Amino acid sequence: MSVITIENLVKRRGSADILTGVGFQARPGRVTGFLGPNGAGKSSTLRILLGLDRATSGTALIGSVPFVRLPDPLRTVGAMLDGSGAHRARTGRAHLRWVARSAGLPRARVDEVLEVVGLTNAASKRVGGYSLGMGRRLGLAAALLGDPETLVLDEPVNGLDPEGIRWMRTFLRERAASGRTVLLSSHLMGELAETVDDVVIINRGRVVADGTLEEITGSHRTLEDAYFALTTGGAR
Amino acid sequence: MRVLAAEASKLVSLPSAWIAMAAGVLVPSVIAAITASSALDAISRGAKTAAGVDTGYQELAFGVVGVIVLGVVGVSSEYFTESAESGGGRQITTSLTAVPSRLRLLLAKMSAIAVVSALLAIVAAAATMGAVRVALGEHAPALGAEDIARLAGVVCYWVYTALLACGVTVLTRHGVVPLALLITNTSVVSVTYLLTKITTLANYLPDMAGVRMFIPKLGGDSVEMSPLTGGLVMTAWVTALLPIAAIAFTRRDA
Repeated sequence: MSVITIENLVKRRGSADILTGVGFQARPGRVTGFLGPNGAGKSSTLRILLGLDRATSGTALIGSVPFVRLPDPLRTVGAMLDGSGAHRARTGRAHLRWVARSAGLPRARVDEVLEVVGLTNAASKRVGGYSLGMGRRLGLAAALLGDPETLVLDEPVNGLDPEGIRWMRTFLRERAASGRTVLLSSHLMGELAETVDDVVIINRGRVVADGTLEEITGSHRTLEDAYFALTTGGAR
Repeated sequence: MRVLAAEASKLVSLPSAWIAMAAGVLVPSVIAAITASSALDAISRGAKTAAGVDTGYQELAFGVVGVIVLGVVGVSSEYFTESAESGGGRQITTSLTAVPSRLRLLLAKMSAIAVVSALLAIVAAAATMGAVRVALGEHAPALGAEDIARLAGVVCYWVYTALLACGVTVLTRHGVVPLALLITNTSVVSVTYLLTKITTLANYLPDMAGVRMFIPKLGGDSVEMSPLTGGLVMTAWVTALLPIAAIAFTRRDA
C-alpha cells in the first residue's frame, strides 16, 4: 500500500510564488483532506504530484517513486482533476474506452465503473451534454478504471448535488476502510468534516496545519471554524 | 502498442476527425470530377486534345486539407478547455495521468495520425482517380508505372502535412490559428506559392517542395525540383519540427 509523500515543494511561475515549501503525507487506510481557499496551491500541488506540472524544487512520491515513473500508473493511482477530463464531443463510454485501452484494461471494466458511479444511462450521451456533477462522476469513473490502491481527487464534491456528495462520502470512506490511500482537495469544509480522517490546510502556497481531524479542529467548534481561524490570519 | 491503440481510439471517436476524413476524400474527388468534366467539354468542343497530365493530382494537393484538420484536431482536442460551468477541465490531464511518459504519448499520437492519414490518402487517391476516370471516360489519361510513384508521393505528402499540422498544434496548444493558416494557405490564397514569385527560396517551403513529389512542374516554375528532392526537403522540415514539438511537449507544464 502506498503512502503519498510530498516534501518541500516549491513552485515559481515567473515572479509569482505558487508554492513555498509544501510538505505532507497521505497514508493508506485514511482519507486525507487537502484544504485551502481557491488559489492557495492545492491544484498546483496535486498537478505536480501527478507529473502534470514540474516543481521548481522538492519531491512528490507515490510510495517511493515519482508518478511519472510508475510502471503501471492507471492501476496504481486513480486521478481526477478539473471537470470531467474528457473531450465534450465524445460519449462518456468512448472516453473511458480509450483510457482503458491505454492501460490494456478489458472493455468490460468500462461498464463496471460506469455502473459504480451511476452513469450507465448517460454513457452513450456526449460529454458536452453532461451536467457538472455528471462530468465529475465521469472523471471519477476514469480514476477507478484500474482499481487503483491510491486515489488523488481534486475538488471531488464540487458540482455534486447533496445526494452526490453523500454518495461520494460513503464511497471514499469505503475505499479508505479497505486500506487504500485517498487524497482529496477541497475548499468546502462543511462537506468534508464527515469524510476525512486527516487534514492538511494550505494557504498562500504554504501548509499552515497538518494533523488528524480532531487535532485540527481542536478547541474550535467545527472544522470550518478552525479553517477560517487558520486561513484568514486569525489566532492560533 | 496499448498507447497507440488508445490514441487510435481517441481519433476515431472524435467527430471532427470524421469530418476531416470526409473532407479528405470528398474535396479532391468532387473537384476532380468537376474539372474533369469541364475538360471533357473542352475536348469535345475541340478546344483541347487531351486532359492534363496533372488531372487528379492537383486536386489531391488540395485534398490535403483533410489531414491538416486531422493533425490539428488530434492535438487541439487535448487542450480544448471545458467551460467554467462544466469544471474547466482538459483532456490532456487524463491523457497524461493514463500515460505519464510524454514522449511515448506524443509518439503514439503522431503515429496514429500518420497511419490514419496514410490510409486516408490511399482512399482519397483512389476516389479522385476513379472520379477522373468516370468523368473523362476514354479521354482519361492512362495510369502507368509512373503513376504508382506519383501516388506514393501523394501519400507521403499527406502524411508529412498531417505531421507538420500536428507539430505546429503541439506548439500552439490551440487549434484555431494553425487550422486557419494552414487551410487558407492550401485552399484560398496560397501564401507560400505567392512567395515563390518573390523569392526562389520559397520553393523550399514544406508544401511547395512536398507537392513536387507528385506534381514536378508547377505553373510558372522558376526552380526545377525533382520529386526526390522535393520529398527530401519536406522530410527535412518534418525532422526539424517534430523534435522541437517533442521538446516543448515534454518540458512544459501540461
